[in-house]
Amino acid sequence: MDVSIKEEAQIKYSDPNQFYENKYSTEFIIEVQDLAKSFNGLKAVDGINLKIRKGELFSLLGPNGAGKSTTIRMLTTVLKPTNGDARIKDYSLIKEKNKIKPLIGVCPQENVIFKALTAEDNVEFVGRMHGMDPADIKKRTNTLLEKMNIAGRKKSAKTFSGGMKRRLNLVMSLIHQPQILFLDEPTAGLDPQARRLVWDFIKDLKNTGVTIILTTHDMLEADALSDHIAIMDLGKIIAFGTLEDLKSSSSNGNILEFSFSSRDELIQAKIKLGQIMNVKNISEMDNNKLIISFTGGVMTLKQEILREIESFKALHFREDSLEDIFLKLTGRGLRD
Amino acid sequence: MYSIDLKAWYIAKKNIKEKLRNLGSMFWTVVFPIMMLLVYKLAFSEEGGDAMINGLTAFDVEFPGIVVYTIGMSSVTSAVMFAMSKVDGTLERMDTFPVSRGNIFLGAILSESVFMNLQLILIFGFGYGVLGAHFVPAMLPLGYLIAMIFGIGAIGLGLIIASFLNSPEGANGIAMLSHMTLMFVSGSFFPLDNAGVFFTPQYWVKQVYLQLTVVGDFFTDLMYSGTIILPTSEASIFPIWSGILIILAFTSTFIFLGIKIFQKKTSL
Repeated sequence: MDVSIKEEAQIKYSDPNQFYENKYSTEFIIEVQDLAKSFNGLKAVDGINLKIRKGELFSLLGPNGAGKSTTIRMLTTVLKPTNGDARIKDYSLIKEKNKIKPLIGVCPQENVIFKALTAEDNVEFVGRMHGMDPADIKKRTNTLLEKMNIAGRKKSAKTFSGGMKRRLNLVMSLIHQPQILFLDEPTAGLDPQARRLVWDFIKDLKNTGVTIILTTHDMLEADALSDHIAIMDLGKIIAFGTLEDLKSSSSNGNILEFSFSSRDELIQAKIKLGQIMNVKNISEMDNNKLIISFTGGVMTLKQEILREIESFKALHFREDSLEDIFLKLTGRGLRD
Repeated sequence: MYSIDLKAWYIAKKNIKEKLRNLGSMFWTVVFPIMMLLVYKLAFSEEGGDAMINGLTAFDVEFPGIVVYTIGMSSVTSAVMFAMSKVDGTLERMDTFPVSRGNIFLGAILSESVFMNLQLILIFGFGYGVLGAHFVPAMLPLGYLIAMIFGIGAIGLGLIIASFLNSPEGANGIAMLSHMTLMFVSGSFFPLDNAGVFFTPQYWVKQVYLQLTVVGDFFTDLMYSGTIILPTSEASIFPIWSGILIILAFTSTFIFLGIKIFQKKTSL
């Protein structure tokens, strides 16, 4: 891992004002100030600062244990912060959480549904909790269940497949037309078809002006949906911006991926690659894979590599991706 | 802080639907008490058997024990319900809704009360109507009320148990253990000649219910000068009203402690 890149990124992204003032001038619906949460002295979220614009889709990206869910649980009034505060549509998270609750919809990471109830009963119950009119609940329930392709709506939710439960979980967070929607890993465990359905649904929702805060460790998801991305690791925001911003600011150049037949070959190659001038960063992956980032021309480097390293299974050249940026910043893959 | 409002009823409605669709829960709530009644009837009311007090059979005198057992099961069902809500995330999800914990607790009390009413109607109908247990009709509503007050206290006990346990199975085990232990220690199943009985709410409920609904006949006299029958069938120094006060005190304490402890343990 390249420590200097990480440190540089932390300094650069510690102040979201700096980022936004230069590029945007819009209304912020969420402003997080020094928000922190510790559990038995262990810092799960370590004084983060964020600004989220009204109507945007904001992704919080990070590996498991980065502090994404803790951040969401604080912003959705479930967890009391140890330090700091956030303003959600001008209401203080600490002092006015009851004014925040009607504004938000929360789709938790786990499928939190009332399993003995039918899909309709589940959605109706949430509507009732938000003080909705029964006729409105019925109308909106029908629309949402249809849109999310949930069949058998009068059957007990415990008979649903994992994907259906996941989609019902999402519908429950939308019945009251929240202004801000928190989606904690909304497509985790979904098959590609269902995932695409949810993505399209989220995109449609964004067009209606809902502000969406999404946590994910799926690169494709963040890439496909987000206006802005914050990368979290070890309770801190280590990068912040649009996908293009992140790529251009954190990129080291281009990427070469090597596959080796054995670990011995990999270790030998790693030593030799470290001696090549243009190679900036070397990361070891699973399945005997090495990823190197480099500057300069690929052809020159390729010739040099072929001279130095005799045995490798495959060599693949590609441009820097969000996952590579993440790897550089954290030293870990997103699924670690 | 959100106030208590109609949302409590919607929560109760949701709880009732969930419980009605849980066959295991319905068995313990409805079927098992009737089975207990049949067992007691077969065991304690042989024709020509010895009468215990004023011509009452052992079945008549033990009938209040079945009422206590049945209503006390609320401690088990509520412990399971609240422990489940902690584990499956529904409590946390409810915390993101604009609804107070007061509504959640009241919703639970309302839904459990609906089932307690159902249980009492079944027990009374089957016990008094079909199996012929003796009762004083004028006192039956008061007996019903005492059973309900005790049941609300049992929900409080269930809340306390659920506060300390993180699995519905664990809550079920501990609540069942505490319920059955209290049933035996209080002498509710079989009379027990021990001073320990005074420290259990079950004992007071059974004795007050017995005195009023099975043995007694004059409400005013009983309230002010009647005495509670001890396990050994001797009269105690406690008048009925003090027994009622003790039941109220137990209920208030369990509900107060239950809500306080549960709030403390689940507010993050």
